[in-house]
Amino acid sequence: MSQSRSVFKDETKLDINYVPRNLPHREHELGLLRGFFGFALQSPGRMAQRVMITGDVGTGKTALSQRFGADITHEASTRGINLRYVHVNCREYGGSLFLILHHVVSVFHPNFPKRGYSAEELLGALMQILDEEDAHIILSLDEFESLVEREGSEAVYKLTRLQETRQNKPQRLSLVCILRNLDKIGQLDASTRSTLQSNIIGLDRYAKEQLVDILNDRVSLAFESLAVPEGTVELIAEIAFSESGNARFGIELIWRAGKYADAEGFDTVTPECVREAVSSIFPAMRRDDLATLSLQEKLFLLAIARVFKENQKASVSLTEAEQTYRVVCEEFNTPPISHTQLWKYLKDLSNLGIVETQVFGTGTRGRSTSISLPRIPAHELEKELRSFFEKRLEKS
Amino acid sequence: MNVEDVFCSRLRIEILKILFNVGELNVSEIARRLRINYVSASKHLKILEDEGILQRKMFGRIRLYRVNEQSPKAKALQNLIDVWKHQNKK
Repeated sequence: MSQSRSVFKDETKLDINYVPRNLPHREHELGLLRGFFGFALQSPGRMAQRVMITGDVGTGKTALSQRFGADITHEASTRGINLRYVHVNCREYGGSLFLILHHVVSVFHPNFPKRGYSAEELLGALMQILDEEDAHIILSLDEFESLVEREGSEAVYKLTRLQETRQNKPQRLSLVCILRNLDKIGQLDASTRSTLQSNIIGLDRYAKEQLVDILNDRVSLAFESLAVPEGTVELIAEIAFSESGNARFGIELIWRAGKYADAEGFDTVTPECVREAVSSIFPAMRRDDLATLSLQEKLFLLAIARVFKENQKASVSLTEAEQTYRVVCEEFNTPPISHTQLWKYLKDLSNLGIVETQVFGTGTRGRSTSISLPRIPAHELEKELRSFFEKRLEKS
Repeated sequence: MNVEDVFCSRLRIEILKILFNVGELNVSEIARRLRINYVSASKHLKILEDEGILQRKMFGRIRLYRVNEQSPKAKALQNLIDVWKHQNKK
Protein backbone atom coordinates (compact mmCIF):
# COMPACT_ATOMS: atom_id res chain seq x y z
CA MET A 1 0.00 0.00 0.00
CA SER A 2 1.37 3.40 -0.94
CA GLN A 3 1.86 6.14 1.66
CA SER A 4 -0.87 8.33 0.20
CA ARG A 5 -3.66 5.73 0.47
CA SER A 6 -5.93 5.90 3.43
CA VAL A 7 -8.68 3.82 4.97
CA PHE A 8 -10.63 7.07 5.31
CA LYS A 9 -12.96 8.43 2.68
CA ASP A 10 -13.95 11.49 4.71
CA GLU A 11 -12.71 11.59 8.28
CA THR A 12 -14.58 14.83 9.03
CA LYS A 13 -17.66 12.61 9.39
CA LEU A 14 -16.09 11.37 12.62
CA ASP A 15 -15.45 14.85 13.99
CA ILE A 16 -17.09 15.65 17.31
CA ASN A 17 -18.87 18.62 15.72
CA TYR A 18 -20.30 16.70 12.77
CA VAL A 19 -24.06 16.29 12.96
CA PRO A 20 -25.17 13.24 10.95
CA ARG A 21 -28.26 13.40 8.78
CA ASN A 22 -29.58 10.24 10.42
CA LEU A 23 -29.54 9.55 14.12
CA PRO A 24 -29.98 5.80 14.49
CA HIS A 25 -32.08 4.85 17.52
CA ARG A 26 -33.00 8.46 18.27
CA GLU A 27 -35.80 8.76 15.71
CA HIS A 28 -38.48 8.63 18.40
CA GLU A 29 -36.87 11.42 20.44
CA LEU A 30 -36.41 13.52 17.30
CA GLY A 31 -40.12 13.06 16.65
CA LEU A 32 -40.90 14.21 20.19
CA LEU A 33 -38.86 17.38 19.72
CA ARG A 34 -40.62 18.10 16.44
CA GLY A 35 -43.92 17.61 18.21
CA PHE A 36 -43.03 20.00 21.03
CA PHE A 37 -41.95 22.69 18.56
CA GLY A 38 -44.66 22.15 15.96
CA PHE A 39 -46.10 25.57 16.83
CA ALA A 40 -42.88 27.26 15.63
CA LEU A 41 -43.84 26.33 12.07
CA GLN A 42 -47.63 26.52 12.41
CA SER A 43 -48.09 29.69 14.42
CA PRO A 44 -44.76 31.28 15.37
CA GLY A 45 -44.99 33.91 18.10
CA ARG A 46 -48.13 32.43 19.64
CA MET A 47 -46.18 30.54 22.25
CA ALA A 48 -42.67 29.67 23.46
CA GLN A 49 -41.49 26.25 24.45
CA ARG A 50 -39.10 24.81 27.03
CA VAL A 51 -37.75 21.29 26.67
CA MET A 52 -35.13 19.46 28.65
CA ILE A 53 -33.00 16.70 27.16
CA THR A 54 -31.29 14.48 29.70
CA GLY A 55 -28.87 11.57 29.33
CA ASP A 56 -25.38 10.36 30.12
CA VAL A 57 -22.26 11.28 28.18
CA GLY A 58 -22.36 9.94 24.63
CA THR A 59 -26.09 9.23 24.53
CA GLY A 60 -26.62 11.67 21.66
CA LYS A 61 -28.10 14.70 23.47
CA THR A 62 -26.12 17.31 21.55
CA ALA A 63 -26.48 15.56 18.20
CA LEU A 64 -30.23 15.19 18.75
CA SER A 65 -30.67 18.87 19.51
CA GLN A 66 -28.46 20.02 16.64
CA ARG A 67 -30.11 17.70 14.11
CA PHE A 68 -33.50 18.97 15.24
CA GLY A 69 -32.25 22.58 15.01
CA ALA A 70 -30.93 22.12 11.47
CA ASP A 71 -34.12 20.40 10.32
CA ILE A 72 -36.57 22.87 11.82
CA THR A 73 -34.72 25.99 10.62
CA HIS A 74 -34.56 24.51 7.12
CA GLU A 75 -38.29 23.81 7.21
CA ALA A 76 -38.96 27.31 8.60
CA SER A 77 -36.98 29.00 5.84
CA THR A 78 -38.99 27.18 3.16
CA ARG A 79 -42.11 28.60 4.82
CA GLY A 80 -40.66 32.11 5.01
CA ILE A 81 -40.36 32.04 8.82
CA ASN A 82 -37.31 33.72 10.33
CA LEU A 83 -36.43 31.00 12.85
CA ARG A 84 -32.90 30.63 14.19
CA TYR A 85 -31.45 27.75 16.16
CA VAL A 86 -28.56 28.80 18.37
CA HIS A 87 -26.56 26.14 20.19
CA VAL A 88 -24.46 27.30 23.14
CA ASN A 89 -22.31 25.16 25.38
CA CYS A 90 -22.78 26.87 28.75
CA ARG A 91 -19.56 25.41 30.14
CA GLU A 92 -17.54 27.09 27.38
CA TYR A 93 -18.83 30.41 28.72
CA GLY A 94 -18.18 29.49 32.34
CA GLY A 95 -21.93 29.25 32.95
CA SER A 96 -22.23 33.05 32.71
CA LEU A 97 -25.67 34.23 31.56
CA PHE A 98 -24.11 37.43 30.26
CA LEU A 99 -21.58 35.63 28.05
CA ILE A 100 -24.17 33.13 26.83
CA LEU A 101 -26.54 35.92 25.86
CA HIS A 102 -23.69 37.85 24.29
CA HIS A 103 -22.99 34.84 22.08
CA VAL A 104 -26.64 34.80 21.00
CA VAL A 105 -26.72 38.53 20.25
CA SER A 106 -23.46 38.16 18.31
CA VAL A 107 -25.29 35.92 15.85
CA PHE A 108 -27.15 39.06 14.76
CA HIS A 109 -24.55 41.72 15.59
CA PRO A 110 -21.06 40.15 15.50
CA ASN A 111 -19.34 43.18 17.03
CA PHE A 112 -21.78 43.76 19.86
CA PRO A 113 -19.77 45.25 22.75
CA LYS A 114 -18.77 42.98 25.61
CA ARG A 115 -18.56 45.52 28.40
CA GLY A 116 -20.48 48.26 30.09
CA TYR A 117 -23.93 46.79 30.61
CA SER A 118 -25.77 43.99 32.41
CA ALA A 119 -27.19 40.60 31.41
CA GLU A 120 -30.70 42.11 31.75
CA GLU A 121 -29.83 44.85 29.26
CA LEU A 122 -28.42 42.22 26.93
CA LEU A 123 -31.61 40.19 27.16
CA GLY A 124 -33.54 43.37 26.39
CA ALA A 125 -31.28 44.01 23.38
CA LEU A 126 -31.85 40.45 22.16
CA MET A 127 -35.62 40.81 22.33
CA GLN A 128 -35.41 44.17 20.55
CA ILE A 129 -33.39 42.56 17.75
CA LEU A 130 -35.86 39.68 17.47
CA ASP A 131 -38.81 42.07 17.38
CA GLU A 132 -37.19 44.29 14.74
CA GLU A 133 -36.23 41.36 12.54
CA ASP A 134 -39.46 39.46 13.25
CA ALA A 135 -37.24 36.55 14.21
CA HIS A 136 -37.69 33.62 16.58
CA ILE A 137 -35.00 31.70 18.39
CA ILE A 138 -34.68 28.20 19.70
CA LEU A 139 -31.82 28.59 22.15
CA SER A 140 -30.19 25.28 23.00
CA LEU A 141 -28.29 25.49 26.28
CA ASP A 142 -25.91 22.54 26.31
CA GLU A 143 -24.32 21.58 29.65
CA PHE A 144 -27.09 23.54 31.28
CA GLU A 145 -25.80 22.44 34.71
CA SER A 146 -23.00 24.94 34.29
CA LEU A 147 -25.45 27.86 34.04
CA VAL A 148 -27.47 26.63 37.03
CA GLU A 149 -24.29 26.19 39.06
CA ARG A 150 -22.95 29.65 38.31
CA GLU A 151 -26.09 31.78 38.17
CA GLY A 152 -28.69 29.82 40.14
CA SER A 153 -32.45 30.26 39.90
CA GLU A 154 -32.50 33.94 38.97
CA ALA A 155 -30.87 33.56 35.56
CA VAL A 156 -33.00 30.58 34.60
CA TYR A 157 -36.08 32.43 35.82
CA LYS A 158 -35.19 35.44 33.63
CA LEU A 159 -35.00 33.24 30.57
CA THR A 160 -38.12 31.22 31.25
CA ARG A 161 -40.41 34.02 32.47
CA LEU A 162 -39.27 36.59 29.95
CA GLN A 163 -42.64 36.87 28.30
CA GLU A 164 -44.29 38.13 31.48
CA THR A 165 -42.52 41.46 30.94
CA ARG A 166 -43.58 41.52 27.28
CA GLN A 167 -47.35 41.57 27.51
CA ASN A 168 -49.18 41.35 24.14
CA LYS A 169 -45.93 40.91 22.21
CA PRO A 170 -45.07 37.82 20.17
CA GLN A 171 -43.20 35.08 22.02
CA ARG A 172 -39.83 34.73 20.41
CA LEU A 173 -37.47 32.80 22.66
CA SER A 174 -37.78 29.04 23.19
CA LEU A 175 -35.34 26.92 25.14
CA VAL A 176 -33.82 23.48 24.87
CA CYS A 177 -31.88 22.69 28.04
CA ILE A 178 -29.41 19.83 27.73
CA LEU A 179 -28.06 18.20 30.87
CA ARG A 180 -26.85 14.87 32.25
CA ASN A 181 -29.67 14.41 34.76
CA LEU A 182 -32.18 16.41 36.74
CA ASP A 183 -30.10 16.61 39.95
CA LYS A 184 -29.02 20.21 39.30
CA ILE A 185 -32.59 21.26 38.56
CA GLY A 186 -33.38 20.28 42.14
CA GLN A 187 -31.22 23.21 43.27
CA LEU A 188 -33.52 25.73 41.58
CA ASP A 189 -36.38 27.32 43.47
CA ALA A 190 -39.83 25.81 43.05
CA SER A 191 -41.25 28.45 40.71
CA THR A 192 -38.29 28.26 38.33
CA ARG A 193 -38.38 24.47 38.43
CA SER A 194 -42.02 24.45 37.49
CA THR A 195 -41.32 26.46 34.32
CA LEU A 196 -38.78 23.91 33.15
CA GLN A 197 -39.96 20.48 34.00
CA SER A 198 -42.98 19.95 31.82
CA ASN A 199 -41.27 18.50 28.72
CA ILE A 200 -38.42 16.13 29.43
CA ILE A 201 -36.82 13.84 26.87
CA GLY A 202 -34.65 11.26 28.62
CA LEU A 203 -32.06 9.46 26.52
CA ASP A 204 -31.15 5.96 27.70
CA ARG A 205 -27.67 4.56 27.32
CA TYR A 206 -27.19 2.82 23.99
CA ALA A 207 -27.26 -0.98 23.94
CA LYS A 208 -24.39 -2.76 22.23
CA GLU A 209 -26.48 -3.56 19.15
CA GLN A 210 -27.51 0.08 18.87
CA LEU A 211 -23.86 1.14 19.08
CA VAL A 212 -23.09 -1.28 16.23
CA ASP A 213 -25.75 0.45 14.10
CA ILE A 214 -24.43 3.92 14.95
CA LEU A 215 -20.84 2.93 14.22
CA ASN A 216 -21.81 1.23 10.94
CA ASP A 217 -23.63 4.40 9.92
CA ARG A 218 -20.53 6.51 10.52
CA VAL A 219 -18.23 3.91 8.98
CA SER A 220 -20.20 4.06 5.73
CA LEU A 221 -19.77 7.85 5.67
CA ALA A 222 -16.17 8.11 6.82
CA PHE A 223 -14.33 5.03 5.61
CA GLU A 224 -13.59 3.44 2.26
CA SER A 225 -15.75 0.47 1.42
CA LEU A 226 -14.65 -2.73 3.22
CA ALA A 227 -11.99 -0.83 5.20
CA VAL A 228 -13.63 -1.62 8.53
CA PRO A 229 -14.44 -5.32 9.04
CA GLU A 230 -17.54 -6.34 10.96
CA GLY A 231 -15.44 -7.73 13.82
CA THR A 232 -13.75 -4.36 14.33
CA VAL A 233 -17.09 -2.57 14.61
CA GLU A 234 -18.29 -5.24 17.04
CA LEU A 235 -15.18 -4.82 19.17
CA ILE A 236 -15.52 -1.03 19.30
CA ALA A 237 -19.21 -1.34 20.15
CA GLU A 238 -18.30 -3.71 22.95
CA ILE A 239 -15.77 -1.24 24.36
CA ALA A 240 -18.11 1.74 23.97
CA PHE A 241 -20.84 -0.26 25.67
CA SER A 242 -18.53 -0.99 28.60
CA GLU A 243 -17.88 2.77 28.75
CA SER A 244 -21.55 3.42 29.71
CA GLY A 245 -22.89 3.04 26.17
CA ASN A 246 -20.90 6.07 25.06
CA ALA A 247 -21.34 6.46 21.30
CA ARG A 248 -19.06 9.49 21.14
CA PHE A 249 -16.26 7.44 22.66
CA GLY A 250 -16.88 4.68 20.11
CA ILE A 251 -16.71 7.17 17.23
CA GLU A 252 -13.49 8.66 18.55
CA LEU A 253 -12.07 5.18 18.94
CA ILE A 254 -12.88 4.17 15.38
CA TRP A 255 -11.21 7.36 14.13
CA ARG A 256 -8.08 6.65 16.16
CA ALA A 257 -8.04 3.04 15.02
CA GLY A 258 -8.26 4.29 11.43
CA LYS A 259 -5.28 6.55 12.06
CA TYR A 260 -3.26 3.57 13.35
CA ALA A 261 -4.27 1.58 10.25
CA ASP A 262 -3.06 4.44 8.02
CA ALA A 263 0.19 4.76 9.97
CA GLU A 264 0.85 1.04 9.53
CA GLY A 265 -0.14 1.14 5.86
CA PHE A 266 -3.00 -1.34 6.33
CA ASP A 267 -5.92 -1.62 3.92
CA THR A 268 -8.30 -2.39 6.77
CA VAL A 269 -8.82 -1.26 10.35
CA THR A 270 -7.94 -4.40 12.28
CA PRO A 271 -8.91 -5.24 15.88
CA GLU A 272 -5.24 -4.72 16.75
CA CYS A 273 -5.53 -1.13 15.51
CA VAL A 274 -8.47 -0.75 17.91
CA ARG A 275 -6.41 -2.09 20.78
CA GLU A 276 -3.63 0.37 19.90
CA ALA A 277 -6.22 3.14 19.87
CA VAL A 278 -7.66 2.09 23.22
CA SER A 279 -4.26 1.95 24.86
CA SER A 280 -3.63 5.50 23.65
CA ILE A 281 -6.83 6.65 25.35
CA PHE A 282 -6.87 4.49 28.45
CA PRO A 283 -4.08 4.65 31.00
CA ALA A 284 -1.17 2.49 29.89
CA MET A 285 -1.19 -1.15 30.82
CA ARG A 286 -0.10 -1.55 34.42
CA ARG A 287 2.91 -3.74 34.86
CA ASP A 288 1.90 -4.17 38.49
CA ASP A 289 -1.24 -6.01 37.43
CA LEU A 290 0.79 -8.43 35.37
CA ALA A 291 3.35 -8.93 38.12
CA THR A 292 0.67 -10.15 40.52
CA LEU A 293 -0.41 -12.96 38.17
CA SER A 294 0.64 -16.54 38.87
CA LEU A 295 2.97 -18.36 36.48
CA GLN A 296 0.10 -20.30 34.91
CA GLU A 297 -2.00 -17.15 34.50
CA LYS A 298 0.92 -15.47 32.77
CA LEU A 299 1.39 -18.44 30.45
CA PHE A 300 -2.29 -18.45 29.61
CA LEU A 301 -2.30 -14.70 28.99
CA LEU A 302 0.74 -15.06 26.76
CA ALA A 303 -1.17 -17.70 24.79
CA ILE A 304 -4.15 -15.36 24.45
CA ALA A 305 -1.89 -12.52 23.27
CA ARG A 306 -0.33 -14.78 20.64
CA VAL A 307 -3.68 -15.98 19.28
CA PHE A 308 -4.78 -12.36 18.83
CA LYS A 309 -1.46 -11.31 17.37
CA GLU A 310 -1.54 -14.05 14.77
CA ASN A 311 -5.13 -13.95 13.53
CA GLN A 312 -6.34 -10.31 13.71
CA LYS A 313 -9.72 -11.40 15.06
CA ALA A 314 -11.83 -9.27 17.39
CA SER A 315 -12.49 -12.25 19.66
CA VAL A 316 -11.25 -15.82 19.99
CA SER A 317 -12.76 -18.90 21.59
CA LEU A 318 -11.49 -20.39 24.83
CA THR A 319 -10.72 -23.57 22.86
CA GLU A 320 -8.38 -21.69 20.49
CA ALA A 321 -6.67 -19.99 23.44
CA GLU A 322 -6.32 -23.31 25.25
CA GLN A 323 -4.67 -24.95 22.24
CA THR A 324 -2.09 -22.18 22.04
CA TYR A 325 -1.67 -22.32 25.82
CA ARG A 326 -0.58 -25.97 25.54
CA VAL A 327 2.05 -24.99 22.95
CA VAL A 328 3.27 -22.19 25.23
CA CYS A 329 3.52 -24.66 28.17
CA GLU A 330 5.70 -26.90 26.00
CA GLU A 331 7.87 -23.93 25.05
CA PHE A 332 8.46 -23.05 28.70
CA ASN A 333 8.64 -26.64 29.82
CA THR A 334 5.72 -26.37 32.22
CA PRO A 335 2.92 -28.94 32.61
CA PRO A 336 -0.46 -27.48 31.53
CA ILE A 337 -3.32 -27.16 34.01
CA SER A 338 -6.86 -28.51 33.54
CA HIS A 339 -9.57 -26.84 31.45
CA THR A 340 -11.64 -26.07 34.57
CA GLN A 341 -8.71 -24.34 36.28
CA LEU A 342 -7.95 -22.43 33.10
CA TRP A 343 -11.55 -21.23 32.98
CA LYS A 344 -11.21 -19.93 36.55
CA TYR A 345 -8.04 -18.06 35.58
CA LEU A 346 -9.88 -16.57 32.65
CA LYS A 347 -12.46 -15.19 35.07
CA ASP A 348 -9.67 -13.66 37.18
CA LEU A 349 -8.12 -12.02 34.11
CA SER A 350 -11.55 -10.68 33.21
CA ASN A 351 -12.04 -9.30 36.73
CA LEU A 352 -8.75 -7.47 36.42
CA GLY A 353 -10.02 -5.91 33.19
CA ILE A 354 -7.21 -7.38 31.11
CA VAL A 355 -9.56 -9.47 28.96
CA GLU A 356 -13.32 -9.55 28.47
CA THR A 357 -15.36 -12.73 28.15
CA GLN A 358 -18.76 -13.66 26.85
CA VAL A 359 -20.48 -17.03 27.22
CA PHE A 360 -22.66 -18.27 24.36
CA GLY A 361 -25.26 -21.03 24.56
CA THR A 362 -27.28 -22.20 27.55
CA GLY A 363 -27.42 -25.24 29.78
CA THR A 364 -24.53 -27.32 30.96
CA ARG A 365 -23.50 -28.62 27.54
CA GLY A 366 -22.74 -26.79 24.32
CA ARG A 367 -21.62 -23.57 25.98
CA SER A 368 -18.68 -21.72 24.49
CA THR A 369 -16.65 -18.86 25.89
CA SER A 370 -15.42 -16.05 23.70
CA ILE A 371 -12.45 -13.92 24.78
CA SER A 372 -11.69 -10.41 23.63
CA LEU A 373 -8.72 -8.21 24.37
CA PRO A 374 -10.14 -4.73 24.06
CA ARG A 375 -7.69 -2.53 25.91
CA ILE A 376 -4.18 -3.81 25.34
CA PRO A 377 -2.50 -4.29 21.96
CA ALA A 378 -1.69 -8.02 21.67
CA HIS A 379 1.89 -7.39 20.57
CA GLU A 380 2.55 -5.16 23.59
CA LEU A 381 1.09 -7.70 25.97
CA GLU A 382 3.16 -10.47 24.41
CA LYS A 383 6.31 -8.33 24.62
CA GLU A 384 5.68 -7.58 28.27
CA LEU A 385 5.06 -11.21 29.21
CA ARG A 386 7.98 -12.49 27.12
CA SER A 387 10.34 -10.12 28.88
CA PHE A 388 9.08 -11.49 32.19
CA PHE A 389 9.80 -15.08 31.13
CA GLU A 390 13.21 -14.14 29.73
CA LYS A 391 14.17 -12.52 33.05
CA ARG A 392 12.97 -15.63 34.86
CA LEU A 393 15.12 -17.87 32.64
CA GLU A 394 18.16 -15.62 33.24
CA LYS A 395 17.73 -16.01 37.00
CA SER A 396 17.41 -19.82 36.90
CA MET B 1 -21.60 69.57 4.75
CA ASN B 2 -19.25 69.96 1.82
CA VAL B 3 -17.06 67.14 0.64
CA GLU B 4 -13.96 68.95 1.89
CA ASP B 5 -15.49 68.94 5.39
CA VAL B 6 -15.47 65.14 5.34
CA PHE B 7 -11.99 64.85 3.89
CA CYS B 8 -10.41 67.51 6.06
CA SER B 9 -10.73 65.25 9.12
CA ARG B 10 -8.26 62.41 9.35
CA LEU B 11 -10.34 60.87 12.18
CA ARG B 12 -13.52 60.79 10.10
CA ILE B 13 -11.68 59.00 7.30
CA GLU B 14 -10.24 56.57 9.85
CA ILE B 15 -13.72 55.92 11.29
CA LEU B 16 -15.06 55.19 7.82
CA LYS B 17 -12.16 52.86 7.04
CA ILE B 18 -12.81 50.92 10.27
CA LEU B 19 -16.54 50.63 9.70
CA PHE B 20 -16.16 49.68 6.03
CA ASN B 21 -13.86 46.95 7.27
CA VAL B 22 -15.72 45.51 10.29
CA GLY B 23 -19.30 46.55 9.58
CA GLU B 24 -20.56 47.73 12.95
CA LEU B 25 -19.10 48.98 16.24
CA ASN B 26 -20.07 50.83 19.39
CA VAL B 27 -18.67 54.26 20.25
CA SER B 28 -16.26 53.04 22.92
CA GLU B 29 -14.70 50.49 20.60
CA ILE B 30 -14.27 53.04 17.80
CA ALA B 31 -12.66 55.45 20.28
CA ARG B 32 -10.37 52.67 21.56
CA ARG B 33 -9.24 51.70 18.07
CA LEU B 34 -8.49 55.30 17.16
CA ARG B 35 -6.93 56.05 20.57
CA ILE B 36 -9.17 59.04 21.05
CA ASN B 37 -11.60 59.85 23.81
CA TYR B 38 -15.29 58.92 23.84
CA VAL B 39 -16.54 62.50 23.41
CA SER B 40 -14.33 63.11 20.40
CA ALA B 41 -15.42 59.83 18.75
CA SER B 42 -19.07 60.66 19.43
CA LYS B 43 -18.66 64.11 17.82
CA HIS B 44 -17.21 62.73 14.57
CA LEU B 45 -19.73 59.90 14.44
CA LYS B 46 -22.57 62.38 14.84
CA ILE B 47 -21.27 64.45 11.91
CA LEU B 48 -21.13 61.38 9.67
CA GLU B 49 -24.55 60.26 10.88
CA ASP B 50 -26.08 63.70 10.18
CA GLU B 51 -24.65 63.48 6.67
CA GLY B 52 -26.50 60.14 6.21
CA ILE B 53 -23.22 58.27 5.70
CA LEU B 54 -23.56 56.32 8.96
CA GLN B 55 -26.56 54.76 10.70
CA ARG B 56 -26.99 54.54 14.43
CA LYS B 57 -28.74 51.74 16.25
CA MET B 58 -29.71 52.03 19.91
CA PHE B 59 -30.02 49.10 22.29
CA GLY B 60 -30.79 50.75 25.61
CA ARG B 61 -27.56 52.51 26.54
CA ILE B 62 -25.61 50.88 23.73
CA ARG B 63 -25.08 52.81 20.50
CA LEU B 64 -23.88 50.88 17.47
CA TYR B 65 -22.74 52.63 14.30
CA ARG B 66 -22.60 51.16 10.85
CA VAL B 67 -22.26 52.41 7.30
CA ASN B 68 -25.59 53.35 5.72
CA GLU B 69 -25.65 51.01 2.76
CA GLN B 70 -28.47 53.01 1.14
CA SER B 71 -26.42 56.22 1.08
CA PRO B 72 -24.86 57.12 -2.34
CA LYS B 73 -22.29 59.19 -0.44
CA ALA B 74 -21.29 56.15 1.63
CA LYS B 75 -21.03 54.01 -1.50
CA ALA B 76 -18.87 56.64 -3.21
CA LEU B 77 -16.60 56.90 -0.17
CA GLN B 78 -16.25 53.13 0.08
CA ASN B 79 -15.34 52.97 -3.59
CA LEU B 80 -12.77 55.73 -3.17
CA ILE B 81 -11.15 54.03 -0.15
CA ASP B 82 -11.12 50.64 -1.92
CA VAL B 83 -9.51 52.09 -5.07
CA TRP B 84 -6.93 53.94 -2.97
CA LYS B 85 -6.06 50.78 -1.02
CA HIS B 86 -5.87 48.67 -4.17
CA GLN B 87 -3.64 51.15 -6.02
CA ASN B 88 -1.27 51.45 -3.06
CA LYS B 89 -0.83 47.69 -2.99
CA LYS B 90 0.47 47.63 -6.58
